[in-house]
Amino acid sequence: MKIIKIAHLYYDIMNLYGESGNILALTEALKKQGARYTVTNVTKGDKIDFSKFDIFYIGCGTYDNQIMVLKDILRYKTEIKKIIKKKIFIATGNSYELFGKKINNMEALDCFNFESKTVRDRIVKEQVYKTYILDKPVIGFQNRVSINNNKENHLFEVIDGNADNNKSKFEGVHINNFYGTYTLGPLLIRNPHLLDKIIKDFFIANKYPYKEIKGTPDYKAYDEYIKNFNIK
Amino acid sequence: MKTLYNIIIKIVKLFCLLFKPILKTNTATIIANKIFTFGCKMLKPIFKDDGTVTPGYYATMYNKSILDELIYPRYIIGVTGSSGKGSTTSLIAHVLEGNGYKVVWNKNGSNLFNAATTLILNHTNPFTKRIKADVLLLELDESFIKTIFNKVKLTHLVITNITRDQPARNGNPDIIFNKIASSIDANTHLVINADDPIVTRFKVIHKGLITTYGIGKYKTDTKEPISNTVDAAYCPVCETKLKYNFYHYGHLGDYTCPKCKFSRNKLDFQAKDIDLDKQFMTINRNIVHLNKNVFFCCYYTLATFALLKTIGLETKDIQEYLNNQVLEAKRMKEYRLGKRKVEMIESKNENALSYLQSINFIKSEHGKKTIIIGFDNVSRRYSYNDISWLYDVDFELLNDNSIDKIFCIGRFKYDVYTRLKYAGIREEKLIIVDDLNNILELVKKKSKGSIYTMACFDMTAILKKLLNEGMKK
Repeated sequence: MKIIKIAHLYYDIMNLYGESGNILALTEALKKQGARYTVTNVTKGDKIDFSKFDIFYIGCGTYDNQIMVLKDILRYKTEIKKIIKKKIFIATGNSYELFGKKINNMEALDCFNFESKTVRDRIVKEQVYKTYILDKPVIGFQNRVSINNNKENHLFEVIDGNADNNKSKFEGVHINNFYGTYTLGPLLIRNPHLLDKIIKDFFIANKYPYKEIKGTPDYKAYDEYIKNFNIK
Repeated sequence: MKTLYNIIIKIVKLFCLLFKPILKTNTATIIANKIFTFGCKMLKPIFKDDGTVTPGYYATMYNKSILDELIYPRYIIGVTGSSGKGSTTSLIAHVLEGNGYKVVWNKNGSNLFNAATTLILNHTNPFTKRIKADVLLLELDESFIKTIFNKVKLTHLVITNITRDQPARNGNPDIIFNKIASSIDANTHLVINADDPIVTRFKVIHKGLITTYGIGKYKTDTKEPISNTVDAAYCPVCETKLKYNFYHYGHLGDYTCPKCKFSRNKLDFQAKDIDLDKQFMTINRNIVHLNKNVFFCCYYTLATFALLKTIGLETKDIQEYLNNQVLEAKRMKEYRLGKRKVEMIESKNENALSYLQSINFIKSEHGKKTIIIGFDNVSRRYSYNDISWLYDVDFELLNDNSIDKIFCIGRFKYDVYTRLKYAGIREEKLIIVDDLNNILELVKKKSKGSIYTMACFDMTAILKKLLNEGMKK
């Protein structure tokens, strides 16, 4: 098995809500599979070679920071479009909007067919979603002030919480190994089923040996949350 | 009891409605506020409403702009920021009162609109509309400065820091900054903590006077941030990555922008020579006493000094009351479990720097230690239970030989446990407490050393109760 390379994109700008937890989750899961890995923190002004990495993660930021990153990441537009459907890409919070066509009429990466815009009222709420890729609900939290008009390739269906916009029942984008959602924070720790699904798909696609590991504290915390908050 | 309380509230509402035309006048509003406060005080034993918030709410129901109509004292001082505003406010009040100033201030820390209204009106003469004080001093919630001081503006505002804090309510540091910025004008003299680059942004946009303070290099400073979770890594003017000489903690430290002129310098008031064991430091070469042996005490003492110098107090007068300060009457009660010392360190949920300070304090203590961590609810202000912030707290620092065991309690004990495991703390050091009633037994049997609780308000109350019962036995 080759060394698995993780890139934490804009680690020092898009890190508003405990999102380094997702890097911890990924590395811990790889460790349990006996894989060797590296994590590279990359940010504004660096020269990022997107072909070098296997897994990309980008977190949530303030609006100003999101726009600062947008200006920087546009340099890589062609490169990102080339690899986006091949590699693992996980985007949480407002970073997911970078991959749409536009943010408030500013040009974005144009990987997916939606536009985002700032709205007046902040959306702050716990989220419960179902997803066709898992048989368990996904839990999380959102704290955002923007919406988008995505109409396809949804990651989640809302059980209780917020969709991409108030006319939709769906949230997020999922194509191949791209996972984008407004849900923020340590999503992959709070949803060990989702984390394991992502890792398992990756291992199987690369023909690496994969072993099922259940009963970790993450699973226990997830089960307790489901029980405490009466989630069906 | 609750129904009776509701009935009284209904009567008060009806009363307000009946006298609506009268209550629109300022004099009647002020008197009503005083009567309601008196009523609350009388009925407090029965209804537990201490009358710090409700009176102002009802008295101003039909006269929302009354605060714009009053005659204010010469100094209207606000203290705001994500943390430390309570300690700063009470220290300022202490020194001012010691120096003979009549200070009206929110002692109980209720810092929202209705509480401020209640306080101010209670100290206002209903006929002259004059506030009976030399200084009006308010600890202010960042989000409410504008609603309280809509027309009349603060003469001075101390800003302690702006960090990620209660994001479900506050949004994020950018939003907090903008809220503060929109609530002041050029007449407000700012006294700011320049160690915080987000606060220092005021130097770029504020048109009025600014006094800055900061802490010089200290022995526990680091060259690199403890983690990547830093709120302000980039220059707010030109978006270049800031270069730090040192970090105190979080994003507080000594920084400059390598490209433009943005930096923390030059400080008007600088603290140095900090000795937490002996509890003193120097500010611009003047020795001052620290009333606690924790690092953040340096910040609120420094902020107090800077503000008071700004409004013209003499150094020696400030020193005298800082140095001879008698700790508040409700001195921290000491708890014990058998022979073991128990120290309750209140840690604010959703505020990573508050937890970081608790962790640093525990680490600086001598001997073996046992820690109790947990909470039942993330916030007492709202019902959201987001736990993302647990991953902004540098629990990794608890990988320390002096720490014997960590007990996880409360409704989110498994989330706390998971976080600690991810922080690399070995499983055999972690204990999940399923039944809180057994906690003291468990701690006694399974752990060693002094006990530190890093819990929020809800758990602290329960633990105190258990310890009190235990100590009586």
